[in-house]
Amino acid sequence: MTEAARALEVEHLFAGYDRADVLVDVSITARAGEITCILGSNGSGKTTLVRSILGLTPPRRGRIVFDGADITGLPTHRVIALGIACIPEGRKVFPKLTIEENLRLGAYRETDEATIRKRLGEVHSIFPKLEERRTQLAGTMSGGEQAMLSIGRGLMSGPRMLLIDEPSLGLSPLFVRQNFEVIRRVNEQGVTVLLVEQNAHQTLAIAHRGYVLSKGRVVAEGSAAALRDNEEVRRAYFG
Amino acid sequence: MDAGVLAQYVFNGVMLGVIYAMVAVGFTLFFGVLDVIQFAHGDVVMAGAFVGLATYLALHALGIAAPAVVVLVVACAAGLGMALLGAIIARWLILPLRAAPAFNTLLVTLMLGSILRELVRLFYPNGSNPQPFPRLLPSASANLGHFTLRLDTTLLIVTGLVTIVIVNLVVRRTRLGLAIRAVAQDSETARVMGIDFERVVLVTFAIGSALAGFAGVVYGLYYNEVNFDIGLLLGVIGFSAAVVGGLGSIYGAILGGFLFAALQTIGSVALPVSSAYSNVFAFAVVIVLMTWKPTGLIAEPASERV
Repeated sequence: MTEAARALEVEHLFAGYDRADVLVDVSITARAGEITCILGSNGSGKTTLVRSILGLTPPRRGRIVFDGADITGLPTHRVIALGIACIPEGRKVFPKLTIEENLRLGAYRETDEATIRKRLGEVHSIFPKLEERRTQLAGTMSGGEQAMLSIGRGLMSGPRMLLIDEPSLGLSPLFVRQNFEVIRRVNEQGVTVLLVEQNAHQTLAIAHRGYVLSKGRVVAEGSAAALRDNEEVRRAYFG
Repeated sequence: MDAGVLAQYVFNGVMLGVIYAMVAVGFTLFFGVLDVIQFAHGDVVMAGAFVGLATYLALHALGIAAPAVVVLVVACAAGLGMALLGAIIARWLILPLRAAPAFNTLLVTLMLGSILRELVRLFYPNGSNPQPFPRLLPSASANLGHFTLRLDTTLLIVTGLVTIVIVNLVVRRTRLGLAIRAVAQDSETARVMGIDFERVVLVTFAIGSALAGFAGVVYGLYYNEVNFDIGLLLGVIGFSAAVVGGLGSIYGAILGGFLFAALQTIGSVALPVSSAYSNVFAFAVVIVLMTWKPTGLIAEPASERV
């Protein structure tokens, strides 16, 4: 695999809070242009992995490389500046800001107003509701609408790579299907995706490759098809 | 009461309200972005007044006397000087203490306030005694019955209000303000949006402290006297105003500032006792208001933070 094909590489990562390690020797690679998924149940370390990549929980050991640049321990805003965007777990919209202000924050590092407007237009065409309710406070929207806003906000920076943490959490099956379809389309336009999920069925349907985390360790990896057939993944997820 | 006398009280009350609101907005901004109380903020007001005074004396020594130029340079020196002081306080005292219990920040800023007071008392020439502050504004006035409309006070009220409005517009209408409001609501997600958290904190402290520096100059120009200990009472008043209005809300801070000035004015004229009791009355009413509405008059969730 050439250097350019590896968008994100996590090498032998150890990370955690206080003294306990949540991630133990985790190595994953997200290939450019692909959807790579990280499957795992609650407490398997998925969110800690996302936080480490973003610089919110600096790793104790190991290395994180994005597009050839070492981003281990870099402050969050500088990681974002390199072209990574995140759709965080629990959506995390700013409740007392309007929908448009939330979207504009997604493009915070973009200073060209014309580019921001163009991206607003693109997000509005995916989620027309966000345009209709531009001036509504985000906190007054339903959970499903907040999920749209969170995805739209993640696209506003025009990222090269998108980290998506549990997009299906707390959403009805219809919304989950819609959101996964949006993720697939965004990926088709060339955006590398790292998708962290508990919902193995739908995730493996759109992912190219994936890893399974359990108690902070990688216990399985491979193509999405291989993971679907993997005995361990079957037992854990498909009963 | 005679209408002219009443108008005079209202006019003077509005002047005080502007000063208090300028101080209270700083408290509310700092609490908004970092959940901290900067107890040295009143002494930053005092330091601003003394920087303004020293700048005036320097200009005087240089022979620069054009009043418009002098006022402008004095105000800018106080504003910029305190902006720098505020950023230094945030960078080297407030941010390093984020991991420590909130009590530490409270104690450290209280001690810093004492240090600022003592430094001015010890190192400003004759600093233990009140210093005359020059009258730099045109002193024209119009008499309407018992009401004297002074041009200098009017200019101070207008300038003070304009600076508050500018700060509010910055917070509400600019990209920087959007970052400040995002940090106030959820600093971690704000960082994930690519916002440089530390820079936003420093800039917010610079803005709030610059406003305090201006408030110090306004105070000096209004009372024509400053003393090393004026920050104590101004700090407590500004803090109470911010809390009673609803800590974290700019509109609450403005409302609280004017409310406190109104209470002081009522306390000094409408009570059957000496006007010396005005602060006792005002603080007592604020205590009652705080017991009645613990989260402030403009309370969450109707108000947005900052």
